[in-house]
Amino acid sequence: MKKFWRVFLYEYRRHVLRKRFIFALLGMPLMILFLAAFGFISVFIQYKNTPIGYIDQAGVIVNPGVSYSEDPFFKPVELIPFFDESTARQAMDAGMVQGVYILHPEYLDNGQVDLIAPRSVSPNAQSDFSAFLRLNLLEGKSGEIKSRLLSGPEVEILSIDGSRQASSQRILSIILPIAVGLLFLIVINMTGGYLLQAVVEEKENRTMEIIVTSVSPNQLMIGKTLADLCVGLTQLAAWLGFVAIGLVVAGVFSPWVAMQEIELGSLLLIIALVLPAFIMIAGLMAATGAMVTETRESQQMVTMFTLPLFVPMWLIYPIMINPNSPLAVGLSLFPLTSPMTLPLRAAFTTIPAWQIAAGLVIIYACAASALLLAGRAFRMGMLRYGKRLTWREVFQRG
Amino acid sequence: MAAIEVKGISKAFGDLRAVDGVSFEVYPGEIFGLLGPNGAGKTTSIRMILDIFKPDSGSIRVLGGEMNEAKKDKIGYLPEERGLYQDIPLDRCLTYLASLKGLEPEKSHTRLNAYLERFDLASSRKKKVKELSKGMQQKAQLIATLIHEPDLIIIDEPFAALDPINTQMVRDILMEQRANGKAVVMCTHQMHQVEELCDRLVLINKGQVVLYGDIHETRRKFAKPEIKVLSAGNFPDQVPGVSEIEKENHGIILHLATGVSPHEVLRKLVNSGVALEQFEIVMPTLDEIFIEVVKGGEG
Repeated sequence: MKKFWRVFLYEYRRHVLRKRFIFALLGMPLMILFLAAFGFISVFIQYKNTPIGYIDQAGVIVNPGVSYSEDPFFKPVELIPFFDESTARQAMDAGMVQGVYILHPEYLDNGQVDLIAPRSVSPNAQSDFSAFLRLNLLEGKSGEIKSRLLSGPEVEILSIDGSRQASSQRILSIILPIAVGLLFLIVINMTGGYLLQAVVEEKENRTMEIIVTSVSPNQLMIGKTLADLCVGLTQLAAWLGFVAIGLVVAGVFSPWVAMQEIELGSLLLIIALVLPAFIMIAGLMAATGAMVTETRESQQMVTMFTLPLFVPMWLIYPIMINPNSPLAVGLSLFPLTSPMTLPLRAAFTTIPAWQIAAGLVIIYACAASALLLAGRAFRMGMLRYGKRLTWREVFQRG
Repeated sequence: MAAIEVKGISKAFGDLRAVDGVSFEVYPGEIFGLLGPNGAGKTTSIRMILDIFKPDSGSIRVLGGEMNEAKKDKIGYLPEERGLYQDIPLDRCLTYLASLKGLEPEKSHTRLNAYLERFDLASSRKKKVKELSKGMQQKAQLIATLIHEPDLIIIDEPFAALDPINTQMVRDILMEQRANGKAVVMCTHQMHQVEELCDRLVLINKGQVVLYGDIHETRRKFAKPEIKVLSAGNFPDQVPGVSEIEKENHGIILHLATGVSPHEVLRKLVNSGVALEQFEIVMPTLDEIFIEVVKGGEG
């Protein structure tokens, strides 16, 4: 077995079996599940199935038996008609209804509806009554018109050259590539962190000298880098798996989720950017690891290049508003910000081909340079204990 | 065939000439002392032999040729900077290090068990390395150096942090390795260990070789014309051929006059009826030679 595979296996197992990795792996989906459960519980707590009453003085409720709720989770609130206010109040005082809606005789002119209730009416009761009222107002219209009026407009946004389009109904097609890109960056960042830690630990443990007399520095770094990449991919695969399961489950219950499509072009662009971004960050992390003498020092140094990765997220609003501004173009070309900026812009505009090409060329060139830099820093710093190697030394010495 | 052939190697770091034209050879079946004061260039020389650094000039042949990746599996190295992975169990750490020396898992397992028993570490095999004492970590490091049965062993201060019992065990192991035809290079400042274990030595000072050769020859070369005697009765105040008689707690030191041999003095003492219990040519210790050579170099 090639020695880098031995390094790879050791490194991969070491990270994957660590408690903090397992915590990070399961932590995010568990947190999302927790938030979803929290949301569901809060809705459930507010849910109240006590009937609601109504008095139709406007004569608009022409079909009291209309089906007004398709909620798969909650039973619709029963709607009870009353003919006068005193009977309705008696029923309310007896606790038979949680409130009474009164549709005024001039409702069709001014939309006036009164609600009499001893305390606030549950949101599900309000929602059910609104749906019931809308359906009755549309009674007699054809199914197509009814459906159009209820779902509202579906705006298709087209770019000037017609090559780019987005649908207001398919908002996930915009959000998903951005979310996936962000996920990639988080994983790259974490993976780079593992690599940094792996190199610094060799120095902290004073094992570097034994290791480099057993394997070549190249095999050592290839093994470590591949292992940390796979650790990151394991994490990413698990997270994407959770997202996919979540979407499939959500799609079963929500037609809106089921109709979403993922923008393939943006995904391909992300994938093309992720590889060099990973190599670049890995190279910079490995170089930092070789330069410092302990983990604490490295934490301060790495923020120099991990922080810019997320700058486009802070500037997301100006980029969305004007995706072809000089700021957006500049961020698309700068190697530490292009992995996030290019997919972000691609969601809102047609990026000129030269900008994509230039962004890719720059980031690939930087990735190669980062590898060379890492190699140089590693050779110079691997046996230096107690004193940090400076960037100047790395760049100065041949 | 020499296990190590070093010819005129030099290495400078900036303005500092760490190693300057060093040459020596190490043969299979010998324990070779690589000696020198702190900062003399020993570690740099070792790192060049192990191909961690490239020499600026000169040549190095290891195990019959230039150093390469395959030869790394035939070398056991215990560096000055001790290091083991602190956060993992001892057996996993040693198994991993053995695997990097090309040892297959089954062999590694068998040998590791034997070594852990021998070094009295079997009960600590599942403990994290950081939970072991300094002496135990030192023994573990020695296991990592020897487990793959290397042909060339380079060890820096192998007795550091060891108690007398473990020191004796390590000495036995080193002598076993020599008996098995392995070449052992030992760096240490414990000169009595060098005297007792090493066959030959090289002494480096300020990057240059100042002494090189057989231990006994070297000691003889540095021997002064002195004889230590112990007498059962009275010892004469004057002995022909002796320029000075110096009484010590445990004997008498006779300083010989120029051109007089120890045999002549012995004959004269016996003829004059002195009851001798001990008659010994005084040989300098390596400590004395080390100080003399290094101080002489400074002078």
